Amino acid sequence: MDGVHDMGGMHGFGRVVVEGGDEIFHEDWEARIFALNHVSDVRGLFGGPGGRVVGESMEPAHYLAASYYERWLWGAERRLEAKGTIVPGEVEAMMARLSGTEPPTAADPELAAEAVRGLREGPPAMGIAVSPRFAPSDPVRVRRMHPDGHTRCPRYVRGAVGVVERIQGVDWLPDRAAYGLLTEPEPVYAVAFASQELWGESDEPPWTVLLDLFDTYLEPA
Amino acid sequence: MSDDHDHGGVHHHERPASPIELRARALEALLVEKGLVSTDAIDAVIELYENDVGPQNGAKVVARAWVDPAYRERLLADGAAAIAELGCGGAEGSTMVVVPNEPGVHNAVVCTLCSCYPWPVLGLPPSWYKSHPYRARMVSEPRSVLREFGIELPAETTIRIWDSTAEVRYLVLPERPSGTEDWDEEALAAIVTRDAMIGVAVPVAERTLA
Repeated sequence: MDGVHDMGGMHGFGRVVVEGGDEIFHEDWEARIFALNHVSDVRGLFGGPGGRVVGESMEPAHYLAASYYERWLWGAERRLEAKGTIVPGEVEAMMARLSGTEPPTAADPELAAEAVRGLREGPPAMGIAVSPRFAPSDPVRVRRMHPDGHTRCPRYVRGAVGVVERIQGVDWLPDRAAYGLLTEPEPVYAVAFASQELWGESDEPPWTVLLDLFDTYLEPA
Repeated sequence: MSDDHDHGGVHHHERPASPIELRARALEALLVEKGLVSTDAIDAVIELYENDVGPQNGAKVVARAWVDPAYRERLLADGAAAIAELGCGGAEGSTMVVVPNEPGVHNAVVCTLCSCYPWPVLGLPPSWYKSHPYRARMVSEPRSVLREFGIELPAETTIRIWDSTAEVRYLVLPERPSGTEDWDEEALAAIVTRDAMIGVAVPVAERTLA
């Protein structure tokens, strides 16, 4: 969807290098929410579309104001509600009950081992593209589109012409797969764009931007 | 921005909990009380990324590629397989492409849409990598961003910015600095910083005292 998460090329956000910017987590709760997301996933506690889709569905002003792990927390609540694991109001009720007391702890060594194993193993690699439509050095144009659902085709490359750099493999089109819709895996290409094609003239000497784009996003140029 | 090997990342402050922290604690407590998650599983996941999985892994990969041309070749041909040779792999790294810096070519990595990052070799991303300015500017004014990090590249250097828009994860293979010809792999790994493997720094030949 064409939301504020699609940030490539936006102006006005200021400096990248700032005090505290080097940290992975600023607070303990951020680490715990990161881990809670993974453990909830392992336990099958989430419903509805995937984490990225939910995060992108945040109201734009909220998305921009929230910290990174605040968005993870918000997304986890929505996905737990979508499955019926929790119902609206339960978190607030627990906040009131916890006030001034230590939170409960529980041990489940098997779950701990399973959670770590999943991260150490990861999902399978992308499959090999058997008969991709485009070959390296083919010129391609990114389709004009305005999807109201999830996509991994950023606005800043739509309509632009680039050159296929390499064939990355095949994968499920996120625009459908993120909603659990069945699709055939399709080729994913690394496509190289000249900076002038994307941004016009710049104060900086020309550079190249490369993106991994699904076959569906592309047409011959 | 030079202390890249701080794996802890969590700072402890004595102060009242913020509303968002209270909310995060309550969500965890709720799922624990329902018997759906355990606190030791959450601790184990955090520990994995605090102790085992971080930029020290990527540094080993880079150092090996610097000393072993055959390994470098395998790394560039199939990143995930070559990285697995050194015992690293897993979530957010199943398909890895390693992009080599060369004389006149500088690569850097960004995720404009979210925060895609090669966890098995770099651990979890620092705040700046996930920040709005980095996501916005790295594709549209990379030299200006690199200048903030303290690198000024010659005007004729080709800059290649990789925006991680699918499931491929990227690692930059920096150039081996001159003056390190007689260094062993361990000494080399010690100068390979996280930022150099994202492409916002370049390694320098500075020996650290053991």
